[in-house]
Amino acid sequence: MTFRRFAFNNVMRNKRTYAAYFLSSAFSVMAFFVYAVFAFHPDVSGGTVHSNVSTAMHFAEGLIYVFSFFFVLYSMSAFLKTRKKEFGLLVMLGMSDSQLKTMVFLENVLIGLGATATGIGMGLVMAKVMLLMAENLLGLDNTLKFYLPWEALGLTLAAFLALFVVISAFTVVILRGNHLIDLLKGSAKPKKEPKASVLLSLLAVVLLVGGYVIALTAKGLVVFMVMIPVTVMVIVGTYFLFTQLSVYIIHRCRSNRSFFWRKTNLLFLSDLAYRMKDNARTFFMVAILSTVAFSAIGSLVGFKTMSTNVLVDENPFALEYTSGKGETERVQTEVAEIERSLREAGFDYRKLGASMSDQKLAQAKHSVMVLRASEFNAIAEAAGEKPVELKENESMMIYYTNSMAGNQATAPKKAVLQAGGVELDPIGSKPSVTFRGYGDFYVVTDAQYDRLEHSSVRHFYAFDVKEWKKTKDVGQALEEKLAASDSRFFSIAYDLHRMNQAYGIVLFIGLFIGAVFFVASGSFLYFRLYADLPDDKAKFKSIAKLGLTDRELSGIVTKQLMILFFVPIVVAFVHGVVALTSMQNMFGYSLMTTSMTVLGTFMLIQAVYFLLIRGRYVREVVS
Amino acid sequence: MEMLSVRQLSKIYGGKVPSRALSDINLSIEEGEFVGIMGPSGSGKTTLLNLVAAIDAPTTGEVLIGGRNPHKLKKGELAKFRRRELGFVFQDFNLLNTLTVEENIVLPLTLEGESVKAMESKVRDIAAKLGIESILNKRTYEISGGQAQRTAIARAMIHKPKFLFADEPTGNLDSKAAKDVMDILVALNRSERTAMMLVTHDAVAASYCHRVVFIKDGQLFNEIHCGESRQAFFQKIIDVLSLLGGNAHDLSTIRV
Repeated sequence: MTFRRFAFNNVMRNKRTYAAYFLSSAFSVMAFFVYAVFAFHPDVSGGTVHSNVSTAMHFAEGLIYVFSFFFVLYSMSAFLKTRKKEFGLLVMLGMSDSQLKTMVFLENVLIGLGATATGIGMGLVMAKVMLLMAENLLGLDNTLKFYLPWEALGLTLAAFLALFVVISAFTVVILRGNHLIDLLKGSAKPKKEPKASVLLSLLAVVLLVGGYVIALTAKGLVVFMVMIPVTVMVIVGTYFLFTQLSVYIIHRCRSNRSFFWRKTNLLFLSDLAYRMKDNARTFFMVAILSTVAFSAIGSLVGFKTMSTNVLVDENPFALEYTSGKGETERVQTEVAEIERSLREAGFDYRKLGASMSDQKLAQAKHSVMVLRASEFNAIAEAAGEKPVELKENESMMIYYTNSMAGNQATAPKKAVLQAGGVELDPIGSKPSVTFRGYGDFYVVTDAQYDRLEHSSVRHFYAFDVKEWKKTKDVGQALEEKLAASDSRFFSIAYDLHRMNQAYGIVLFIGLFIGAVFFVASGSFLYFRLYADLPDDKAKFKSIAKLGLTDRELSGIVTKQLMILFFVPIVVAFVHGVVALTSMQNMFGYSLMTTSMTVLGTFMLIQAVYFLLIRGRYVREVVS
Repeated sequence: MEMLSVRQLSKIYGGKVPSRALSDINLSIEEGEFVGIMGPSGSGKTTLLNLVAAIDAPTTGEVLIGGRNPHKLKKGELAKFRRRELGFVFQDFNLLNTLTVEENIVLPLTLEGESVKAMESKVRDIAAKLGIESILNKRTYEISGGQAQRTAIARAMIHKPKFLFADEPTGNLDSKAAKDVMDILVALNRSERTAMMLVTHDAVAASYCHRVVFIKDGQLFNEIHCGESRQAFFQKIIDVLSLLGGNAHDLSTIRV
């Protein structure tokens, strides 16, 4: 048996010990690879999606890489820790230091190679599944096709081979400081009781509460200014929350005997302090990553809902047509074309028309638009707005505003028209979503309108269709046909469709990044648990001899797992809610319902994840 | 009163080649009796202890502790039976190193849900008897082996069990600490009238018992009673051990 053979056998015949490390490494490779498949997707980098998105994706890829690095490094050190005793034995038997390092290095390279290959294999399958899901779930018109991802493949291979070599080199560093006695005692050496500083615990509270208060009280653009300081405060606060405050709270619980000595609390809490301290960094990472995922997805979904709602609210009519100046004949044929299309597609519609007269102002260079009251009122009423009531020679100024602009009112302004020096002195101003995009305009009585001289008149037609949602195809066909004309045509159903498509890809990418982070953090916890299993098993076995029922045991394990699983997620949830609330303050539009749905879904998935793992873990510990 | 009654107990380990670890053991231990189980390696001592303490299930036969058969109890009831009626002391102490000495001792009581006051007074009592008051707030890695075993005994005795099982309690200790542990067990056996069953290799430890039962190849071999002098009893134990196949000369040099 040569030395290389020995290292190889060590891995092959000891699969169980290596499984956790191997799987967690393969998993990081897979996440990175699937992500790279999307980032390098020709449609993403080539134009369909905005270039900012592509840049953001490559940035996120960097994040995933950093995350993988720590993940693999962590798995490896956990893995080496469980094997300390074995190393001690080998050194006792006369293995030289350099031989030991060579062996560990070779093993790591072997596992690294295997994990990279396995990860890429699983990734190819996953990428296909994700692409299929994207098409079906988000209703995309096959915008993202499956392709042979050579670039992604190359990047993943290069990145992870480099990563494993660097990490294998790290193992040598980890092993260097160890004395034989430490190796032999291995993980059996009991750990010191975790300690927490009161000052830092207090700092955690101050930072978190302070960050929250600032984030929640800031309004409008102030939100933008305080964003970075608040983020830093909350991140630092979260770090100390897990490393200091949690340990401190458990410590306080321990000193309260009537609580600590009650039933299984003794077992549950004494362990928890260690687990918290051990897992503090993991928790911190999981919480921050989840917060980023929550906020990104929450705001994306929120934006999408906001834009579609605004679009639908402000466009009461299925189709709108505005002619160019003059050209009545062409207008007639085009309007007839629209009516014919609607009839042929079998829609009931109501046609509403208005003449929009542009009047030059006496003093200023620009002109204002003047509308007939009867025509405006008909359209306003069809849109569900109140009509304007005008007496002889009176006029009304109409302006446009929306929730994003803060529903600000515009004060009525006088206007002196060039033609005949007519002075329009509006009796008031009124907001309306009709005739959006024509600025502020004036509605005058029919009689006064007829008295005015009209040099430039445009014709506006609105087609009110009850089943407007189904008019997408008609709208699309008409828009293409009328594109050459200088008239303006608008179909809400078609516009909505286009918007959904554009948002769909961005949303999919957002959801995907969120899912990757989310699954990654879940697995992080799972592999940690897997590493702790042997210790837990031994411990519970000895307690069982003293008399611990299975129910009590499963109760303790459940409580501990619940804390491991939900504490970081709940922290992320609270952070996410605060972040979304403050974003809501910035836009003045409620993102709550949609973001709650997203956060709720994640909580639900986490709960399912928890139940699955709890079942398995309890069974393993009891057996 | 008979505390333990073992009738026709057998254990066969399955597998490709079934092996008979114990066959037709009959044993009876009275209240307040201190019985040692000895025998060469592989003779079935630990198997017997595991069966009697309901850690393992017998192939045939019956065990009655205080008139109840622990093997017929449901899992949950068995756990409660253990923590109320039985005490265990192990060779490797089995202390939880996340807990302090005091917390380790009260563990069985906390599971029962006793009041903190009652637990504190019981800890004080037992710690005084065992001479471990000064280390109550220490952690398990800060104390010596002898102290750890005394802590384990305190944990096994705090709920005043009817029966105490000790599996090689002196196996990991030096002779001084082993003597302390045995003195404590004898004292507790006298003051609390707890029946005790001690599985051991150590002839010195066995000489503290009222009676020593020898097992060879899974069967009862012999039984000797302590007379007037512990020294004479020790010599008798050595004699039986050498008869069992050990070497009297080897054994007596372990410690005298």
